[in-house]
Amino acid sequence: MLARRLQKLAGRRFIAACLHTSCRVQNSQKIIEKFKLADIGEGITECEIIKWNVKPQTAIQAFEPLCEVQSDKASVEITSPFDGVVTRILVEEGQVAKVGSDLCLIEVVKESAASSSIAEPVDVPSTSDTASTRPTTVEPKTNEQESRDELSSTHNIPRRKHPMDPTFSPDVDSNSPVLATPSVRHFARQRGVDLAQLVPGSGRDGRITRRDLDEYLVGVDTTSSNKERVASQDNQDVVVELGRTRYGMWKAMEKSLQIPHFGYSTTLDLTPLHGLLPRLNAHIPSHYLPPSTVLEVPPAVSPASLYPLPPTPEVPPSGQYTRLTYLPFLLKTLAKSMLEWPLFRASITQVADASLKPTLTIRPHSDISIALSTPNGLYTPTIQNVDTFSVYSLSSHLKHLSYLGRQTPSGLTLKEMPKRGGTLTVSNVGAIGAGDFAAPVLVPGGGVAIVAIGKAKWIWDVDQGDGSGERRLKVGISWSADHRVVEGAELAAFVECWRGYVENPERMIADSV
Amino acid sequence: MLSSRLSSCPKRRIEHTLSTHYCHNLYDFRRYSTQRLTPPSPQHSIYISNSTNPYFNLSFEDWLFRRKAADKPLLLLYRDDPCVVIGRNQNPWKEVNLPVLRASKTIPFVRRRSGGGTVYHDLGNTNFSIHLPRTSFDRHMTAQVVLRAVRSLGIDATVNDRNDICVGTEKVSGSAYKIVSQRAYHHGTMLISTKLETLGDLLHTHSKDTMETKGVASVRSPVRNLQQFKRGVTHGAFVEAVMHEFRKEYGLLGNDDKVQMIDEDDCRDIEYIQHGMSELPSWEWAYGQTPEFTYTVHQTFKWGSAQAKIKSKHGIILSCDLCVSGPTEGTDTTAGGSVASMSAALQGVTAVSMDEPLRFVVKEVEQMLQGRRYGFISAREILSGLGTHDNTKVGAVEDLVSWLVNLMDS
Repeated sequence: MLARRLQKLAGRRFIAACLHTSCRVQNSQKIIEKFKLADIGEGITECEIIKWNVKPQTAIQAFEPLCEVQSDKASVEITSPFDGVVTRILVEEGQVAKVGSDLCLIEVVKESAASSSIAEPVDVPSTSDTASTRPTTVEPKTNEQESRDELSSTHNIPRRKHPMDPTFSPDVDSNSPVLATPSVRHFARQRGVDLAQLVPGSGRDGRITRRDLDEYLVGVDTTSSNKERVASQDNQDVVVELGRTRYGMWKAMEKSLQIPHFGYSTTLDLTPLHGLLPRLNAHIPSHYLPPSTVLEVPPAVSPASLYPLPPTPEVPPSGQYTRLTYLPFLLKTLAKSMLEWPLFRASITQVADASLKPTLTIRPHSDISIALSTPNGLYTPTIQNVDTFSVYSLSSHLKHLSYLGRQTPSGLTLKEMPKRGGTLTVSNVGAIGAGDFAAPVLVPGGGVAIVAIGKAKWIWDVDQGDGSGERRLKVGISWSADHRVVEGAELAAFVECWRGYVENPERMIADSV
Repeated sequence: MLSSRLSSCPKRRIEHTLSTHYCHNLYDFRRYSTQRLTPPSPQHSIYISNSTNPYFNLSFEDWLFRRKAADKPLLLLYRDDPCVVIGRNQNPWKEVNLPVLRASKTIPFVRRRSGGGTVYHDLGNTNFSIHLPRTSFDRHMTAQVVLRAVRSLGIDATVNDRNDICVGTEKVSGSAYKIVSQRAYHHGTMLISTKLETLGDLLHTHSKDTMETKGVASVRSPVRNLQQFKRGVTHGAFVEAVMHEFRKEYGLLGNDDKVQMIDEDDCRDIEYIQHGMSELPSWEWAYGQTPEFTYTVHQTFKWGSAQAKIKSKHGIILSCDLCVSGPTEGTDTTAGGSVASMSAALQGVTAVSMDEPLRFVVKEVEQMLQGRRYGFISAREILSGLGTHDNTKVGAVEDLVSWLVNLMDS
């Protein structure tokens, strides 16, 4: 019995030791939450604050009235989403706040999840102080890791999954907000349901309604066989109507039959680019970095001491990123090649009279359309004057576009999708799955050619190295071009020009200074 | 028309026994009164208020809004004695012709809890109020319900882009909304036989363009009564039409929930309503909820001119900047002699500056006004509060103070 008691003691200390060396256990901590002005609906974008029902440093309960706002003819009462203490009011009475902006700060006591902090006893011997330094999430540490371990770095960094990818599971950190009324959130909290699992809901603007929650809970309770039964119950054919975007795709594709396509595919060697990425990631300009990653250490010497620096552009949070991908580079190099090849900056002039001889309109800058696959359907927003963007600003722009596209309803407007369109279209089909090549379809308005970029893969290239071969990162690209305008040989030569930039990224140093 | 309506009732009596019980009574519902032993419940669907007290009706509406089950629709219909009703965040001095209001002696102005602009209520105007769960609230849909009701009376009405019901280019109804966490309501007016001249007088403020106010300004439009488009349209007919469309829209046609007729006395014991009725006429609500505004005015007197910039928030004067000057050069070119004598009277003051004693008094006036309730000051109060000053200034100071007080009263 004594032995058992000793064993128990040892066990407890064992666990305690475990707890001690792994991540800090915190039972509760005070967090300052920013309370934003939620979307009131009815197309309202901003409201005037009429009255605050609380003063700073007063306690407030969840669902208690916090303030009253007015927009147009509607007077709206806003209740607090948390129990806490209002520490600071950010928009005063009489001022106007935009939907989505912060209204006030509320100090909340949060219980942090204890499960993540208790490490497995098995890991204790191997767990040392470095355990806390090895990151489980991808953030500033990745740069060090990449330089330490270049070849295998792609495996350590989890690739962000495309929403259309069947293995995609929406994580809480994604840009899409989880919309639900406070009572629904309260109910979900009580039942321990993660609302992010239910995004988007069946309510207005993708809100999660109480019905979605109930259905989810019922679904969790019933066994999978029940679900199968439900699916097979309907042995009948079901007729489904095409949504607006899908029907738009239908119509565009029917028109695309007028265009004689020819294809051309090859692979590009991204190994030099891959080598450059870590260093370029380390120097992302601070206005593109999310605020949490920027360290606010005031410098000992400031470049603005003599004269203020030129103002940094306003970057929305949806345009901020922590690491670059290959797509901005491919777009930038494509834009540079387009400058050397006027043919690929041309579009067929739109004329009312089809009997006139067709003409091509050549643009001074490179306009590239990006095929964006969203939960609402396929869109092709255009980035105009790509040659004037830097790789960093392109990356930000792309991130913002995909954020807009993934909103329900779509946040893409005429500003992002001008009627003119681009002269080349790029489709990053490699983002989903492991495709190498595709045969993309060119639609009227999509330019003179479209390129589909596959997934970048490490392969053994016997042609490289000194006869013995080398491991290289290659990506398959497949072109479809309008044979009324472009010759096969011209396309091949253009692609070689592009390759010249992609496979020798150092050229951009000479070009751009 | 009346007889045809009555004869149609027996048919309906077979289908909807209880709702038609009230079919007759709608035409003289003011005489009808329920003898209640217990206070009314907020859980019914349709309410008609017999009271014409605007304070009661607004408080009752608010009580129903807060107490009714969040997911059920509710309709309330009522009429008020003559009064002017301003929106939650409006400036009464800018929106209402207060002198005319005061002259009427019986017409109050009331600040309601929903947003929007200023309206005039009297017994020729019927108010409707549709309460819905917030998630399914759609102001266009609720406007359509009322529109269909008006059209069923034989009037070719439409809804304009501000969601108001119009006939042609003239408005017959104004709307406002209120949204809280679970519920939202759309309420509005319907002009049936309102005294439009009184409406015009009360809502016409001689241009206060120089009053800049935060908060919502009314969007003025020409208005008409429904009776001007179709004679014979009455409050009762409108009420019945709205109730029918409401029931149709929210699937309550087969429902045997009775229409609740409410008197002011029935709600004697409901604390929430009683509190509301005492809050609405109070200075703190009626005037004290006025957002910040600045009023800049200029006035010439015999002795010179003055410019005042009064800043007020929540009905209290925050500051009053007075700038007094002697007669400016060039304006009185002909009366060279009188200019000279006036400047002599002001003891050598130059064309655009104040002399010391006057400046001192003006400063005193500014300080006296600060912190007082805008529009609730009497000239005598201010003048008696000032210290002794030069006799020659008395006239000027009196002019100034009474000018300011009149300004604020208008």
